[in-house]
Amino acid sequence: MKRQIPLLIVIILGFIFVVHTFVPHKISQDFFDWYQDWIKAMSPFAVFLGIMSLLMVHGTKIIRKATNWQYSVVTLSALVFTAFAGFMWGTQEGTPYMWLFAHVQMPMSSTMFSLLAFYIASAAYKAFRARSAEATVLLLAAIVVMLGQVPLGAAITHWIPDSAQWILNVPNLAAKRGIALGVGLGMVATSLKILLGIERTYLGSD
Amino acid sequence: MFETISNLVAALLTLFIFSFLYKENPFYRFAEHLLVGVSMGYAIPLVYNLTFIPYVYQPIFLGHKYVFIIPAFIGILYIFRFSRNYSWLSRYPIVFGMAIVGMGVPLSMNTQVLVQMRSAMAPIQDINSFLIFLGTITILMYFYFSKAHTGLYGKFSKIGVWFMMIGFGASFGYTVMARISLLIGRLQFLVGDVLHLIK
Amino acid sequence: MNFLIKLQSLDRRWIYLLVALAIIIPLLIPFDSKTYTTEPVENIYQKVDSFSGKSNKAILMVFMHDASTMPELFPMEVSVLRHAFERNVKVFTICFTPTAAPLVDYAINTVREQFPDKKSGIDYCNFGYKPAALMVPMVLGMGEDISKAVDIDSEGRKIANLPIMQDIKNYNEMNLIINFSGSDYGYTWITYARSKFGANVAAGVTAVMAADAYPFLQTGQLLGMMAGLKGASEYEKLDDVFASYKDANYPSGRPFSKEIINETIANDTFKISDQKVYAFKKARIGMNSQSAAHILIIIFIIIGNLGYFIEKSKQKQDQ
Repeated sequence: MKRQIPLLIVIILGFIFVVHTFVPHKISQDFFDWYQDWIKAMSPFAVFLGIMSLLMVHGTKIIRKATNWQYSVVTLSALVFTAFAGFMWGTQEGTPYMWLFAHVQMPMSSTMFSLLAFYIASAAYKAFRARSAEATVLLLAAIVVMLGQVPLGAAITHWIPDSAQWILNVPNLAAKRGIALGVGLGMVATSLKILLGIERTYLGSD
Repeated sequence: MFETISNLVAALLTLFIFSFLYKENPFYRFAEHLLVGVSMGYAIPLVYNLTFIPYVYQPIFLGHKYVFIIPAFIGILYIFRFSRNYSWLSRYPIVFGMAIVGMGVPLSMNTQVLVQMRSAMAPIQDINSFLIFLGTITILMYFYFSKAHTGLYGKFSKIGVWFMMIGFGASFGYTVMARISLLIGRLQFLVGDVLHLIK
Repeated sequence: MNFLIKLQSLDRRWIYLLVALAIIIPLLIPFDSKTYTTEPVENIYQKVDSFSGKSNKAILMVFMHDASTMPELFPMEVSVLRHAFERNVKVFTICFTPTAAPLVDYAINTVREQFPDKKSGIDYCNFGYKPAALMVPMVLGMGEDISKAVDIDSEGRKIANLPIMQDIKNYNEMNLIINFSGSDYGYTWITYARSKFGANVAAGVTAVMAADAYPFLQTGQLLGMMAGLKGASEYEKLDDVFASYKDANYPSGRPFSKEIINETIANDTFKISDQKVYAFKKARIGMNSQSAAHILIIIFIIIGNLGYFIEKSKQKQDQ
């Protein structure tokens, strides 16, 4: 029963949605309005998942005094303080809460991703080798696209951006369409499996 | 003055993260953990103000629409996701969200398969449209594993591999561009906003 | 020759240093470079242009990213907002991730510094943050009735009561959706808003995602696309050349024309240095560094491969 009732809800609601896609009847519309209101009322509580996951991982580390547990104190203190700042002083521009976002969260989040620039440069130097004919084609296409995107490439000759555009519009398009068709069929198959109650992993284990 | 100090804090935290490039160190680890905490802590008041108040509190307590207690109660069941004995209760809010795949089946089929196929079947007008047709067909042949890739079939599927290599090359070229752009953004901040060296 | 082989084991930190210098030096020593525009970006520009001054047309900007991809996407958002404000096009904004919410405000405030007369609720409206779980229901709901689906804006006001909503009901009016994302090219909008309601969908993507979107551009499922910093720099330039261009003949900007844009490239007019507002040329300044960094990486690939082949032939000789 712990699994059957949720599965039944997915199947029944799911098939009503299939009908709703094709039948713009008032009953179908009323059903969708009801669904919108209910799903909105459920949505705020999803934040519990993130909070609890973080509390469990870092709380356990602190309690067990695991290696580097001190950093978990930093995480949880930051969580509590930022949330407290939002509730205490508001979430508008100019509040401590927004200061934390603009001068702590934002710079660190973007810097974290910018590290990838260094790694990709290092990989270009140490790993990208023309070991086979296929790898050589890949490298050449990459070089043309890289040059074709920047002003310098166009300044050398207009053939560079033109070739880059051709690569993107013709062979790249064909490649991505072939892959997209496969992915698309896979997605539809997975959705159908969910709808028919065959795919159940999203329910978690018992 | 306050703006300068704020920028310096942001710059310092930026450098803490860049320090990882030299080697793993306590400054980086501190910044990494701080980021996770602040990001999660940031979401809580926002979710409370922008979703709990208008979608739960106001309809129930101000609008007296008590029927909304039911979806709110189902939503609260998320809390049991990590419970050993009661995690099955958290399936209820999850399945309500999942049900919309019913609409995804026909619409995804249309978006990702039918429209793409229609375009792939368009009459061949020039060399480019022929190449797109050839590439799409040969890649699909390559991914069809129920037939051995030998003989003429194998040769065609090999053409698909060449198309894919060009496609992956294009993606790689774009990826390099993307990663460099992100670093440019951070250095524009350090050199421009903090050191005021960009004219 | 041995030198190239030795270079193979160069410490990665030297590579990092060179990359940093390749980016910083062009930032410190600014120069003008030409920005070439491409059709996918021009298509978005022309669509926004076609809504000029129409009270029954609007665009929706969807901020599907956090600060991590901001260097690529933020200049696009600023440029599109600038275009809409210049042309008196109604703008709606929305986001489905908490960390995107302030970015919407930053983008609007950045552009409003140059357009102080633009008012929230009249010229633009920020729907604000909505939980990700509501994305598909809202995308579908807006196809019927925006006021009902979105309900309240970021300031807690009932959307139905706002002056901006006059003449705006659903995707028939809010007929251009531009999805800014680092991880997809607006798939949800194409699937639900375009397939079911026929809305026009365009994408502002990080360059990582750009190559995957070409099949959707060809079919018209995506009306246009801005790809990474390059896409942003193109939109910046289009703003300079058309919407923000003012003279006696065109007191409120001139219409888009392919001839004019080609002319600006041939005559080397509309230089980066001509634009005085830093926020409106940030992507183009960045593209100078992008040129240097790409050349450096291509050199890395060539040196790395030369060393590899020399080492390989030496090993063969030794055998």
